[in-house]
Amino acid sequence: MGIEQFIFYFFALVMVASATMVITVRNPVQAALFLVLTFFSCAIIWMVLEAEFLAIVLVLVYVGAVMVLFLFVVMMLDINIDRMREGFIRYLPFGVLVGLLMAGMLISVVGSVNFGLDKFAEPARHAADYNNTRELGLVLYTKYVYPFEIAAVILLVAIVAAIALTLRRRPTTKYQKPEEQIAVKRDDRIRLVSMNSEKKK
Amino acid sequence: MNFETPNIIPAIPEITLLSLACLILVVDLFVKQENRIITYLLSQASLLIVFLLTLFTFTTETQFTFSNTFVRDSMSDVLKLGVYISVFIVFLYAKDYLRQRDMFKGEFYVLGLFGVLGMMILISAHNLLTIYLGLELLSLSMYAMVAMQRNSKAGSEAAMKYFVLGAIASGMLLYGMSMIYGVTGSLDLAEISQKVAEVSDQKLTIFGMVFLIVGIAFKLGAVPFHMWVPDVYHGAPTSVTLYIASAPKIAAFAMLMRLLVDGLSSLQPHWQDILIILAIASMGIGNIVAIAQGNLKRMLAYSAISHVGFLLLGVLTGQQAGYAASMFYVLSYVLMSLGSFGMIVLLSRKGFEADNLADYKGLNERSPWAAFMMLIFMLSMAGVPPFLGFWAKFAVLKEVVAADSLLWLAVVAVIFSIIGAFYYLRMIKLMYFDKPEDTQAITADLDLKVALSTNSLMVLGLGLLPGGLMALCIAAIAH
Amino acid sequence: MIALSDFLILGAILFCLSVAGIFLNRKNVIILLMAIELMLLAVNMNFIAFSHYLGDISGQVFVFFILTVAAAEAAIGLAILVVLFRSKRTINVDDLDTLKG
Repeated sequence: MGIEQFIFYFFALVMVASATMVITVRNPVQAALFLVLTFFSCAIIWMVLEAEFLAIVLVLVYVGAVMVLFLFVVMMLDINIDRMREGFIRYLPFGVLVGLLMAGMLISVVGSVNFGLDKFAEPARHAADYNNTRELGLVLYTKYVYPFEIAAVILLVAIVAAIALTLRRRPTTKYQKPEEQIAVKRDDRIRLVSMNSEKKK
Repeated sequence: MNFETPNIIPAIPEITLLSLACLILVVDLFVKQENRIITYLLSQASLLIVFLLTLFTFTTETQFTFSNTFVRDSMSDVLKLGVYISVFIVFLYAKDYLRQRDMFKGEFYVLGLFGVLGMMILISAHNLLTIYLGLELLSLSMYAMVAMQRNSKAGSEAAMKYFVLGAIASGMLLYGMSMIYGVTGSLDLAEISQKVAEVSDQKLTIFGMVFLIVGIAFKLGAVPFHMWVPDVYHGAPTSVTLYIASAPKIAAFAMLMRLLVDGLSSLQPHWQDILIILAIASMGIGNIVAIAQGNLKRMLAYSAISHVGFLLLGVLTGQQAGYAASMFYVLSYVLMSLGSFGMIVLLSRKGFEADNLADYKGLNERSPWAAFMMLIFMLSMAGVPPFLGFWAKFAVLKEVVAADSLLWLAVVAVIFSIIGAFYYLRMIKLMYFDKPEDTQAITADLDLKVALSTNSLMVLGLGLLPGGLMALCIAAIAH
Repeated sequence: MIALSDFLILGAILFCLSVAGIFLNRKNVIILLMAIELMLLAVNMNFIAFSHYLGDISGQVFVFFILTVAAAEAAIGLAILVVLFRSKRTINVDDLDTLKG
């Protein structure tokens, strides 16, 4: 077994095991951490497929940002873990059945009959100076410039939506208003009153 | 690869709308709550501007740009004009409703406009990537709009259900896209169409196609992927239900056309079978379950499901005339749907949602004109001549009958629409023959009344003279 | 030699795990969201495998966009979750029963 095959099968195994844990563990924090492990093994498999840029992006953006967001939300909300797994056993036979049926169907289609080495030969490895990032960048900013712009709009919508949904101003909280603080003039704060000085008698 | 500046002329409406939406996003920050009407007026003006831009650059030839990821043809132009008009009407109807519920905020309009942009991208998509991105832009805007009324339990619950089911459907759609890509090695719809026709063993393409259809069926709300429709229509604020129930149907129709007709036309016999099942199930479940509903928004949701079934009938014939009939159907349906949800807005007031059937008892005594308008919408949805809905059903059924060996399907469709007529007629009975329970006077601004009256007269007028719209649809598909 | 089918089977297994996860965790919205992330990962695996074996970069471009959209989707999904939690004090799906008909 070559080193590539070893890496692939080892991390594929880790990936399947950790993905199974994601959907079965009790605690959402543990589930999130197992999901991180799944993403990490996936990134390594993508390395085997010579998609280096996306592998790095998966670790940096997904593990670094999205999963941290998940963890934030899990910890922010006061979740009753005990109630969460109620009915897990009840749904278990059905869920496993659906999963197995679907797996059987999908694997029969994508298995080696249709996508074996005889149909798709393994492509030659790229030379050492091959630059995956450059290749992606070249088409991203030329051929796919329109989808690229749409993706920017989607991120903008996500920002607007997330702020619109979660930002709330409680009437009881006191806020500083820097613009008003800066705009204050002397006359707003100090009133000079001329009084007659008291005379000593 | 050298970068050639793409020809942006065909995409001018999209670019304009994006710039205007960003402008409104910024302007809205500086507008005080009491002047929020400015945001509203700017949004309506933006829709008007892109409407005129699209109308004056209306094209009868097919134009590609951005390396063929973008296509502009007559079908896309007609559908886009339909989207602008329906969203314009949505904003108009929703204004007072939003005001009365402290939801009159810039975000509603900004997200609404970004949703319009998503629909335009979807309608003009000529690549799997642009279809996916347009769809997500539209969906993400809608998820957020449903959750917009933050203190409403029903709203946040509906948003969560919509989001989870929508994300699963996107996952299915993507899995289908990945299979199609794997078999054809391309994301471009024209190339896919060409390659699929050359493939000898269609097993893999059909496998991918099934996943694509699951995704489309979800977005259209066809049975068995309709679970979200009643909950979302019911739980969302009526102003948002108006939005979801109208223009996105046009975009979903465009998605169906792009993926199945433009991309997988050589698999027509295969997708026909699946669409027949979806259509029968949608018409059946939609019409029968609607009878049991006590809430008007839920009833209209099930009615929407049954209308989607009818919409599929035209497409599944696989003929140009059938596509045109479906296009006519979707445009007519959107007009009727806007009107009937508009009626709920008209009768609602601060602290009161007129969404129970009982709220419509004796509407004729309270306001004969409102009752008459509702009568028009209900009869039109039921498919009674001479209203628009009749011609929509007629056009679709005519094409089904004309197709080989589908006569039985037309008979099934007629039976289900007769069953469906029951709940529309019950509504009319409530309005005209029952005693009113709610005696409050109907208060609404003049613009809402005028717009709703125009809407109902259009349903009547286009029903009397359906030729123009029908000819437009036929011409749009033919080019 | 690793065949294309090996990668696709891995993707298919992940896809099925996520579907099973959706059925099993009907009670728990946050794990549902994670199952959806798994589903997108399965799709990404397919695209990258095809892209490698077809020698065509556009599959990787698609994955790039799926990752972008998935991040936006996660942000909105979690925002909706927070809104839901604030209004109902629970994210248990059983308690989501306002809408029945």
